[in-house]
Amino acid sequence: MKRKSLLPLLFLLQSTVFSYGQNQSKDETDTPLSSAYFWDRTEFKVGLVGTVFWSNGLSVGAEYLWKENEKTKTRRGEERTNIHQFLFNGNLGFVTNFSSKTDTGAYTNFGLTWRRTNKKGRQFSIELNPLGYYRSFLPETYKVNGESVDKVFLPGRGYYAPSLSVGIGRQRKGKVRSGSYFNINYTMRTPYNSGALPTFSLQYGFRFNFNNKKP
Amino acid sequence: MKRPLVHTFKIVVLAIAALLLNACSNDHTLGNLDATVFVRHKGADMPAYIKGNAEEKVFLITLHGGPGGLGLGFRGKAFQQIEANYGVVYFDQRGSGMSQGNYSEDDVTIDLMAEDVLALVKVIKRIYGNDSRFFLLGHSWGGALGPATLLKDQSEFLGWINVDGSHDPKDLYFEYIRNFERVAAAQIELGNSVPFWESVYDELDKVDQNTVSLDDFNRLNILAFDAETYLNDDGLINDEESGNVNVSDYNVLTFFWNIFKIQSILDDDLIGELSFTEQLSEITLPSLVLWGRYDMVVPEFYAQEAFDNLGSGEKKLVIFERSGHSPMFSEPNKFAEEVLQFMGQYK
Repeated sequence: MKRKSLLPLLFLLQSTVFSYGQNQSKDETDTPLSSAYFWDRTEFKVGLVGTVFWSNGLSVGAEYLWKENEKTKTRRGEERTNIHQFLFNGNLGFVTNFSSKTDTGAYTNFGLTWRRTNKKGRQFSIELNPLGYYRSFLPETYKVNGESVDKVFLPGRGYYAPSLSVGIGRQRKGKVRSGSYFNINYTMRTPYNSGALPTFSLQYGFRFNFNNKKP
Repeated sequence: MKRPLVHTFKIVVLAIAALLLNACSNDHTLGNLDATVFVRHKGADMPAYIKGNAEEKVFLITLHGGPGGLGLGFRGKAFQQIEANYGVVYFDQRGSGMSQGNYSEDDVTIDLMAEDVLALVKVIKRIYGNDSRFFLLGHSWGGALGPATLLKDQSEFLGWINVDGSHDPKDLYFEYIRNFERVAAAQIELGNSVPFWESVYDELDKVDQNTVSLDDFNRLNILAFDAETYLNDDGLINDEESGNVNVSDYNVLTFFWNIFKIQSILDDDLIGELSFTEQLSEITLPSLVLWGRYDMVVPEFYAQEAFDNLGSGEKKLVIFERSGHSPMFSEPNKFAEEVLQFMGQYK
């Protein structure tokens, strides 16, 4: 089962890496990045994350633009230019179930995002985070070992939690609130009760580039 | 650039602190309990939802069906009445509901799950004091886990309540076949849902009559639930209330993943294998056996078998004439009355 769940992730990772490594076609050009400065290439993001009915919370993160190229193709006699970007990506989130107290946790994950932006600023992205960690937070917990019963300090469990998000978004060029996004996320928590628990969530939020001048 | 960042950071920290506070608060007021406590035992963290009125420090520990059912799945009109009088502990067993942990499939045994229940007792005593007293109630699969627990240590309990419990999954398959034949013949004679009951004979022809297989067992188990729907349509079983589990109490995906996982681990050890029939005589606690007349999932035959074999000198069998597998939902008032009377007598 473990092998089966890893296969699609490995496929996506290799296709991300290898598709980038292919020779550029004639209509594909590297674009000079607007700035080589760190803060120009870094965007922060804040969003709501959750499963609507169950755990819901907040997520913050950052994206660092690594590579960017422009692809032009002709469709129905019209030239269309899209910008393709690869971004390093990191997230930190906290979710809870307000109803039950049994589904609270924090997570962090890191990986690579591929994003396509068209001329109108509409975006499509795939975010693969092979490095992920989820830490559940449990309410009052007692550990029983033989006859001894001890209250556990900061109870919870840690899980390896790689994730994959697919989403759409909108770019706002030159503005501090530089974009918005809506992702569908799949995260696996393992080892979880002798297996790997699949979880799905929605993410909606905004990206910020504080070096942009316009509010 | 720094100001908006600091502002955002403050808001995020405050929001997370509020969420964390909500996630960890518990009310242990004995007269009006509302607490969620986790029991950490041998690689598993299992939630116990403690509710009701425990001013007398008398607790009813419930064992859900499945395996893989929901602890809070008992809640409804009947348990509301029980909660008004006693503390009720709804427990998500290992690998069920919102339980989590890290253990191997080989570690999961009925023996270990029985130890989990005894660990739960220790935790309740730790929280509410050593003078806490307990009754144990098991429904369906909980009727197998209950005896497994009591055979390990019954000294912690004042009484055992068996609700349509499966103390003998070993022979349940063959009793399914016998029971379907009996009930189908009776219902056809009465002219009730004749096409369905005739189709039951076709289904019985498809399964092996001599050897148990998991596929055949599951086929008959599903048919048993279908049959109860028809018995309800024909007015023999009361409409069941839907219970008080909120959709937000359990993450549905986690619940389904857990139930498939725990059943895939345990079913091979249960179906056609496990039986406590011979050992029921070792249970000498006061016992109450509650059964639905039209239980197709764990047929009525087992009510009498449980009652006859229990070793207690103080035992009572109650048949619910208008119920199937879950009398607490189809005859909630009578169910609560029987449980309260039993607990009142032996507390």
